[in-house]
This record gives sequence, structure tokens and C-alpha cells, in this order.
Amino acid sequence: MEKISTHQFMTLGAAVLMGGTFLLLASGVTEASGRDGWMTVLPGFTLAIPYGLVVLSLLVQYPHKNLLQISEILLGKWLGKSIGLIYILITGYYGGLVLAVLGDIYERSIMPLTPLWLFYLGGLLLVLYLVGSGIEVFARFSEAVFPVIVIGLVLNVLLAIPRMEQGELLPILADGIKPLFFGVLKVMPFAMEYILFLAGLATFLPTGKNELGQLRTGLWRAAFMVGILDMVVVIIQILVFGPVETIRLANGILELGKLVEISRTVSGIESLFMGVWLGALVIKISAFFFMVTWGMESVFNLKGLKWNYLVAAVFMGIALGFTRGPYMLRELAFVEDYLMFPVALIWIPILWGVSCWKKGTGVQ
Amino acid sequence: MRSWLKMIKELTLRPKGERQIRKSPSYSFDEDLNKPLSGTKVKEILSINSDVVFREFFLQGKERIPCLLAAVDGMVDKNQLDQFILKPLMVDLAGNPEMAQLTLANIVDKTLQSLLPGLEFKKISKMGEAIDAILSGDAVIFFSDSREALVFGARGWANRGVAEPITESIVKGPREGFSETLRINTSLIRRKIKHPSLRIISLKLGDLTKTDLVVTYIEKVASPDIVSEVFRRLGTIKMDGMLGNGYIEEMIEDNPYSPFPQVSFTERPDVLAGKLLEGKVGIIVDGTPIVLVVPAVLTQFLNVNEDYYQRAMVAILSRFVRYLGAFVAMLAPSIYIAVTTFHQEIIPTDLLMSISAGRQGVPFPALLEALTMLAALEILQEAGLRLPKPIGSTIGIVGALVIGDAAVKASLVSPLMVIIISLTAIASYAIPTYDLSLAVRLIRIPLMILAGVLGFFGVSVGLYVIIIHLLTLRSFGVPYLSPIAPLRIRTLLQDTFVRAPWWALKRRPQLIDVKEPQSGRKGKG
Repeated sequence: MEKISTHQFMTLGAAVLMGGTFLLLASGVTEASGRDGWMTVLPGFTLAIPYGLVVLSLLVQYPHKNLLQISEILLGKWLGKSIGLIYILITGYYGGLVLAVLGDIYERSIMPLTPLWLFYLGGLLLVLYLVGSGIEVFARFSEAVFPVIVIGLVLNVLLAIPRMEQGELLPILADGIKPLFFGVLKVMPFAMEYILFLAGLATFLPTGKNELGQLRTGLWRAAFMVGILDMVVVIIQILVFGPVETIRLANGILELGKLVEISRTVSGIESLFMGVWLGALVIKISAFFFMVTWGMESVFNLKGLKWNYLVAAVFMGIALGFTRGPYMLRELAFVEDYLMFPVALIWIPILWGVSCWKKGTGVQ
Repeated sequence: MRSWLKMIKELTLRPKGERQIRKSPSYSFDEDLNKPLSGTKVKEILSINSDVVFREFFLQGKERIPCLLAAVDGMVDKNQLDQFILKPLMVDLAGNPEMAQLTLANIVDKTLQSLLPGLEFKKISKMGEAIDAILSGDAVIFFSDSREALVFGARGWANRGVAEPITESIVKGPREGFSETLRINTSLIRRKIKHPSLRIISLKLGDLTKTDLVVTYIEKVASPDIVSEVFRRLGTIKMDGMLGNGYIEEMIEDNPYSPFPQVSFTERPDVLAGKLLEGKVGIIVDGTPIVLVVPAVLTQFLNVNEDYYQRAMVAILSRFVRYLGAFVAMLAPSIYIAVTTFHQEIIPTDLLMSISAGRQGVPFPALLEALTMLAALEILQEAGLRLPKPIGSTIGIVGALVIGDAAVKASLVSPLMVIIISLTAIASYAIPTYDLSLAVRLIRIPLMILAGVLGFFGVSVGLYVIIIHLLTLRSFGVPYLSPIAPLRIRTLLQDTFVRAPWWALKRRPQLIDVKEPQSGRKGKG
């Protein structure tokens, strides 16, 4: 059985939690909370901490089992399998949509004449290679690539500083605190995506007492790191584009890349940044690919290369079949807000509650 | 069809477990080799060879005992034989009271204990041992029909001696290098590490060649798991001939289809000593000055021993230049192709004008232009490598000046492309390890094709594939990208991309699980 280290748990968690959030987040939170949208990012991501802690506490009680297997133990075979089926469908659909995002951003930003399926094929090739290599290699991949993503984001933000308009963030809280609540609601689904990933990843986590402490620390470190980074990305977009334009630009960070100029000589280096964002999206798609395979293995006992190819074909089908542009983003938001968020929001506390109740009454 | 498939499978898949390569034929004397010793039989088997010499003489003890000395001419030191065997036994000891007690029953023990003065004597009792000893350069003394004989270690053949290594020359540091003689090489290591924990374990490989090799490591510094894995993998090799360490390298590496080297090598005793002190294991093969070192991780192929002889600041700069060189060697042509074909917006306008002026009249796309130039470069490199030195420089002049200049004038390639390919060639020479340099040359071509077809997206996909491949690689259980992934922050900051000053290198590099992490302190185990 493959295992990942506590440090890999942190970087993998941060990489999956971040995924492509920096591409989409600014528009959503600014639409919900106006120029104060940046304030909602960190609180939204911190929701991952209590839910993550619940998953880790379940891991203590049921070591080497993922939450789908635990569901079957606690809620009964058929209810457990039904939850597993929902898990597979949601994560499979969302994974295909993220693959569509990959092609979409490349087509719209730097390579408009290249056929979309080539981007999907390139992305899927990487995902299949990663998934086929196992969770250990995936954890090491995120360990190697996540720092590069952070450096890419920081560079993008720093190089955009000359374009900032200082007054765009002011006045602070002009519309009161209430809009912030809606902004937090926009961020929470991203945290829940990570929790769904954690639900499947639990099998591969170490279960020693010291290691569990390190896992908890890794959890809040990942949430805060991603929360702060994404918050900075949102701030810089509001400062550069202003709130109205930030809402309009679905992928503001790509536009930010286009504005980067070094010493009035080198410009248009967004294609270099795109290479880094590709890594982030590959991590996200791979995470959802893993979720689907874990689900299929737990619920239907289906595993192996041929099932991986089937999942890849489904991802490709979803990506190819979907309308691009704003409609695709709307669909993404729909899956995040109305499918993944409620499922994780309800499923995990129920599991925890039943587990506590059974533990209290001594029922096995 | 099935036989074709079987053949393809045999040629492409490395068998697990024991690996038999070209089994040696069976001989009429095979059965005799395990039988009790007989000098007459040994002479019968070996006397057909003109280089094996036999010297018969008699010892006058209580009884007259016929003796036979056997050795290979050219492999044995004749002076030692005369001085330590023939002269004492035939001249000096005549009339010695000890001699009067000699019988066939006690002659071997008596000779060993009190008659012969040499250092390296060993008693043997099997035919196979006697033949192995003679053919390995030792001398064997047989006593009439006795079932025991004496081996005298008197190896002495012409050797190159200790010279400066050609492939690892340095400015500041020791000049000595390994030679082709195993014993000289082990002595060079023993001179560096004078501690009883240095283990030098002998093995033999090759049914016909019976090549000597030693596995060397420092106990309690090297991981026992890695040491036992080295012995296990060496034990699985069954082949008729083993003429160099390249044979072993391919048989013991983890992933034979990776372009990246998973076993490192050195010609320098100081480098091997340094690696043993880091917990690695060396494999020294007789007949080659190249020593294999395992496990190997990617970053160590970009570090050289001179980094440790220079001051830290200088070493950091050198390492930065080498890493930069490796990136340029791998990516420069791909980036040029991607930029000129797909992403012209990245080029400043003045430069773009200059590039397009240079490309005017060139009939080929950038990809084809680059591939052609690269093919020419590879041919020049390969040609220059095998030629004698004086002609080699001529090849350089012909290649760089005549072909390069003529190609530009004929508008076959643009001047910038010549610059890019030259830069690539120069950068690849900044990679200190030949094996890694070859790997970079190999992966450059697919990256160029991806750049030509899909621009930066293709280059990014290619780079990620390489990263994933590197992440899947292991060398004797150690992840190949360690200490980057899995991250070992101390090792990364201490001695990977940078080299901390010696006073800060308190711990051994934690690439592998070693028992004694604190350098200079007593270990736990």
C-alpha cells in the first residue's frame, strides 16, 4: 500500500486546494462582495480546516479506509454505495469540466488557432501518466510543482504592481458586512472540493500519533497558505482592473499576465505563465481523476488500466461536449455551489455524528 | 508470428530475478573442477596453453617429494617466485633440520608455517580453486599426490599506474585517478579512509572471464538495505563474460529504458571516498578505471568534487552556471522554435525585425532548420569523439567555420539559428557528467518537435512528462529527484543547488536512510 509523508500531505493538499482557483476566484468574489471581495477569500478557505479535522478524526477510528468505505460501515451497504455513486458522478463531471477549462484558457489566451482537442489530449496524457504512476508520485509531483506555481503567482503579482491604481480598494466596507457573507459562500465550495479529495486520500495517510499531529498542522498550513495567496491575487486584480472589470474578466490572472512588462522591453510573457498554470490544472484534474478511480474501486471494485482509460474517455467527452466561455464557467459554478458543496457539507458531519453515536453506544 | 513476438519480448523486457546472459558452453573438465586436488590433472588441463608455465622440482625431506609450481607467464612476478619459493625451497633450506621432518602428510602445513617467508599464502584443496588461482595471476605449488596445495599471491603484471583521470579533470584538488588494476584501486580508497568500518568485499562475475570486483561501503554510514540490495542485484547476474562496468550498470539499474543515468561513476578516489562518506556504495571492477556508485540522484550529476575544494561562494556560482547550462542545453532550441513559430509577441520589436531579416530567404520552417543543424552538430560531436586529437580539432574547424558559415551564406539556415545551436552545444559542455549530457541530448529532440507542433504548450507538456518520469524513477530505492521531491529541506539548502560552507555541513545528506546522521559524531547504531 502506497503512503505519503506528512509534508507531502501538506503540499498535495495546498496544490489541490489551490488548483485553478486563482484563475476563477476574483470574478466570483468581486461579483458577490464588490471591492471588498478579497476579504472573503481567507475565511472561505479556512472552512477546510474543521472539515479536514473531522476527516482526520475518522481516519483515527478507521485507519487505512477512505470515507466511502467508512460510509458503508457506518450507514449500511446500500446507502454507502449510493453516496459512492454520487461521489463518482460529481467528481467525474467536475474533472471533465476542469479539463475543458484547460483547453479554454489556452485557446482564448495564447493559441487561438490550435484545435481544442490537442490541449485536452496533452492535459489528459499528463493526468494519465500521473494517475498511472500512483499517489506517491502524484504527491511528489505536487511537492515539486507547487513551489513553481507559487513563484509564478508571486512574480505575476509583483510584475503587475506598476499597473495598480491605489484607490480601487477604497472605501473599505462601503456596503457593510452582509455582502462579505455571500463572497464567503462563493469560496467555500473550493474548500469542499479539497475535502472530497481528502475523503478518498485518507487511505494513503499515515496513522501514527505524531504523524496525525503533523497532518493537522499540515491541514491548517495548506488552508492558510492557499487562502493568503488567492487573497493577494484577488487584491491585485481589483487594484489593477477595478471591481467592475474584475467581475467582467472571467480569468483575470491571464489578462494580468498579458499586462506584464519588464523594463519596457519584454512583454507578453503570459505564455510562460501559462506553462505554470498548466501544472496547477493538471494537479486539479488528476485529483478528480483519482477521486473517480477511488470511488469506482470502493463502490464497484473496478480498478486497473482499462478503467483509467474509460475515465479518461469520459473526461475527454465532457470537455469536448461542453459549451465554452461563460456558459462553461456557469456550469462549473453550478457543480461547485449546488452539487459538491452541499454533498460535502452534509455527508461528512453525518458520518462523524453516526461514528460518535456508535462509539458512544458501543454499536459496531 | 509467436516466435517474432517472443523475440521482441526478449529484446525489450528485462527478466526479473536471475538474469542469465550468454551461458558458457560445457567442457570436458567441468566435472573435474569440483573434485579433490591433483597436480597432474591440473597440468593436464592447462598445459596446452603456452602462457602457463610449470616448474617441477624435488624436496628432500624424510622422503623425496616431487613438487610442481604452476603460474601464468606475464601475470606473475617471477622475481617473487624465485626469491620466496624456489630459492628457499631448493637452495636455502637444504640441510635445514626442519626439512628432515618433512613427509607428504605434513608438507603443506610445515611449508606454510615455517619454511616459506612470503606474506600471501593460502591452502587450497579443490581443483577449481587451483585453476582459478593460476589463471588469476597467483602461483600454485602442488606436492606430489597431496590433496592440498599452496597458493602464493605473487600477481605482477604490467599496468598503467596511477595517472590523472581524463574525464574528471579539475583545477584545485588531487590529481590521482583509478587504474585498471583492482588492487591498486582498493589501496587508493584505503589510503583515503583509514578506518576499520570501510568494507571491501570481493566477488567474481562472468563464467568465463571470472572478473574480480569489489563492493565497498562504510558500515553504519551506508544504509544496510541499500548494501544488501546491491549484493542481491549483483547476485542475480549470470553471464559468460564481464569485461567492464557498463555490463553491470545496465543489469542493476532500476529503469533500463530511462534516458537518465541511475548509476553514477567516477575515476577519482577522492570522489569515491566522498560518496562513501555520504552513505553510498561503490562497485570497483577489475580491468576498468571507472567505479560505479549507487544510489544516484539527479542533482548529484550536476555537482563536481571541485565544489568541495573551492570556497563556498565560488562553488555556488559554479553550480548555478552548471544548472543554467543544463537548462539552456535542454531548452534553448525548443524555446527558439516555439517563440519564432507561435509566440512572436514575446519578442521585443527590434529583435523581431532582426530575426525576420535573418530568416529572409531561408526556405525551411524553424523546426526543420533546428533539427538539421542539430543533426549536423551530433554528427560532428560523434566524429570528433573517436578521432585522434590532432584530427579532432580539424573537425571542429571544418564544422564550425566551413559548414556553419557556408550554410548561412547559402541561406540554408539563419544566423540566429547558428547562434542558438552553438549556445546549446557550449551549454551542454557545462554539464559535468557525460551520462547526463547524453540524456539531455536525447530529450532535446522530442522537446523541439513538441515546440514546433504545439508551441509553449507542447514544451510545457514535454517538461511535465520529463518531471513525472523523473519522479517515478528510483535508484536502489532512493527517489531520483530527492532532495527536491520528497523534499529534504536541509539537504536542499546544504548541498544541492548551493553548497554551504564546510562549517555548516554538519549533517550527512539525507538522500538515503543512513544510521549515523551527524557527521563527526558517534552514531546511534
